[in-house]
Amino acid sequence: MIKAADSAADLVHGAGGDGHGTARSVVRVRVLRQDVAGGESYWERFEVSYEPNMNVISVLQKIAAQARSQDGRKVAPVAWDCNCLEEVCGSCTMLINGRTRMACSALVDRLQAENGDEIELRPMSKFPVVRDLVVDRRRVFRGLEKVKAWVPVEGSYDLGPGPRISPEEQEDAYPLSECMSCGCCLEACPQYTKVETVRRDDESEADFEKRRKSAFDTGFVGAHAISQAVLFNAHPTGRMIADERMEALTRQGGIQMCGNAQNCVAVCPKRIPLTRSIARAGRAATVWALKKLFDR
Amino acid sequence: MRQCRSLRPIVSESSPSFLERHQFLIYRLFSLSGLIPVGAFLAVHLLTNASILAGDDGRTFQSRVDMIHSLGPLLVPVEVAFIFLPMLFHAAVGFVIIANGLPNVGSYAYVGNVRYTLQRATGMIAFAFIVWHIMQLHWLGKPFGGGRFDPHYAASTAATALQPTLTAILYTIGILSTVFHFSNGLWTLGITWGLWTSPAAMRRANVVSIVVGLGLAAAGLGALGGFRSLDVPKAQEAEVWTEKQKRALSMPGGAVAPAPIPASTH
Repeated sequence: MIKAADSAADLVHGAGGDGHGTARSVVRVRVLRQDVAGGESYWERFEVSYEPNMNVISVLQKIAAQARSQDGRKVAPVAWDCNCLEEVCGSCTMLINGRTRMACSALVDRLQAENGDEIELRPMSKFPVVRDLVVDRRRVFRGLEKVKAWVPVEGSYDLGPGPRISPEEQEDAYPLSECMSCGCCLEACPQYTKVETVRRDDESEADFEKRRKSAFDTGFVGAHAISQAVLFNAHPTGRMIADERMEALTRQGGIQMCGNAQNCVAVCPKRIPLTRSIARAGRAATVWALKKLFDR
Repeated sequence: MRQCRSLRPIVSESSPSFLERHQFLIYRLFSLSGLIPVGAFLAVHLLTNASILAGDDGRTFQSRVDMIHSLGPLLVPVEVAFIFLPMLFHAAVGFVIIANGLPNVGSYAYVGNVRYTLQRATGMIAFAFIVWHIMQLHWLGKPFGGGRFDPHYAASTAATALQPTLTAILYTIGILSTVFHFSNGLWTLGITWGLWTSPAAMRRANVVSIVVGLGLAAAGLGALGGFRSLDVPKAQEAEVWTEKQKRALSMPGGAVAPAPIPASTH
C-alpha cells in the first residue's frame, strides 16, 4: 500500500509539495462507518487528490463526489454534518486523528504533520451514531434545556429596555456566549458517558421522548450547560430564574458529577474558560445548598 | 461492557434510588470527608510517625502514641466515628464514582486528565493499602494474624513489622499513592466547592497542594526509613523503662493519665 502511494507520488512529483519532503499528491483517509443507527461499524479507506489548504470537509466532499473506496469499489458516500464552515455553528464535530474537533477548521496539512500519512475520521463516541459521521446530539440541547440556558423575557406586553450591563460584566460574559454547542467538551469528558435509548415496539413517540429525556437527565449535564447556566445567572434579567438553574445544577447528573479532569477547557475550539465556569458554579452551588439548608 | 453501562438508565427507569436523589449532597460530603476527617487524620498520622526521626530511640514517638492512647476507653469510638466510618464512606462513594467514569488519557493526554486518572488509580491503591496496613498493625488485625503494633512498645513493634524488604516496597507505594490522592484531592476539592475559580487561582492553589504533598511524602517516607533504621534493642530498652515508670506512677493513685516520659538520657 505504501509502495503504491510512493510511486503515485513520484509520478506527480512536486504537486502540492510544501518543502517538507513528503509528497502530497493524495490524501488518504480512514473512516469509521456505520450504515444505520445501532448497526455494526466498520472501517473504510478512501483516497482523494490533494489540494493546498484543504480541510476535512473538503476531503469529505471529494469522497462524496467520487463515492469509491481506496480499492476502487463503488460505495455509498460518507455521511457527515456541517453547516457554517467557519467554526461558529458547532455541527461538524468529529474525532479527527482520535481527537474531538471541528471538521471545518481541521486543516489537512496540519493533520498530516500530526499523524503522518493517513487521516482518521470517527464519529463522536459519546452520542448515538445516526449514520457514518452523523451523530444524534439531542442530549447536548437537553442539557441546555435542563439548566434553562436563556433569558426569560417572554410575555404579553413590552417589558421595556433591559438593565444596563457594565463593560466589565460584558467582558466577563462574552467568552461564555461564544459557545456553539459543538459538544467537544462532552466528547473529551471522562465523566460524560454515552446514553443511548432505543424505542420499543410497543411505545408511542411521546412515551419514548419522555423516557429518553429522563435517561439523559440521569447522566452528567456537561461543561457546556454548566457554563451557560453561569452565563445566564450573571445576566441581570437571566438572574431572575437563577434558583431554578441552581436547582437543575444540583439535581442528579448536575455539577457534582464533574471530576476535574479539565479536558473540556483543553479541547474547547472557542477557548471558553469552562473550568472557571465550573468552579464558579461550584461556588454558587455551595452557597445555594447552604441557603436551602438554613433559610427554609 | 461499555454498551451495557451506557444503557443502564433504561433499566433503572423506575423511581431514582436514594443515591441518585441525594447525589449532590452525597458527592459533596464525599469531597468534604476526604479533607475532614480523613485527610486531616492522614496528616496527623504521618507527622506523628515522623517523630521517630527525633533520634532518641523512639522516646518522642512513644510519648506521642501515649498521648493518643490517653483517650483510654474513648479511643475506639473516636477511631470508628472519625476515622473508620468516614474512610469507608469516602471509599464506597469513590468506587461508585470510579465505576461511572470512563478514563480517556490515551486520547487526551493533558496534565489535568493524567491527574484525573491517577486520582482514581491512587484511590484504589490507597484503599487496598490501608486495609492491609490496618490488618498488619492495628489490633483489628489480630484475629487475622496481624495486629503487630503494640502501643506500649510503639517504636520497636512498628520497626520490627516494617523490616521485610517487600513490606517496605509496598509501604512506599502505599504512602506515595495515599499522599498523592490527598494532595491532588485538596486541589480538586477547592474547585468543587468554588474556593479557587480563576485559572490563576487554580495555579496558585496547585503550588500549595504540591508543597503539602511533598511535605507529607517526606514525612511518610521519612518515618518509614526511620522505623527501618531504628536500633530495635535500644528502643526496647527505652520502652521497658518507660513502661515501668508508667506502672509505678499509676499504681498508688490509679491516675493513668499522661505518664511523664524521661527525656533522652544519654
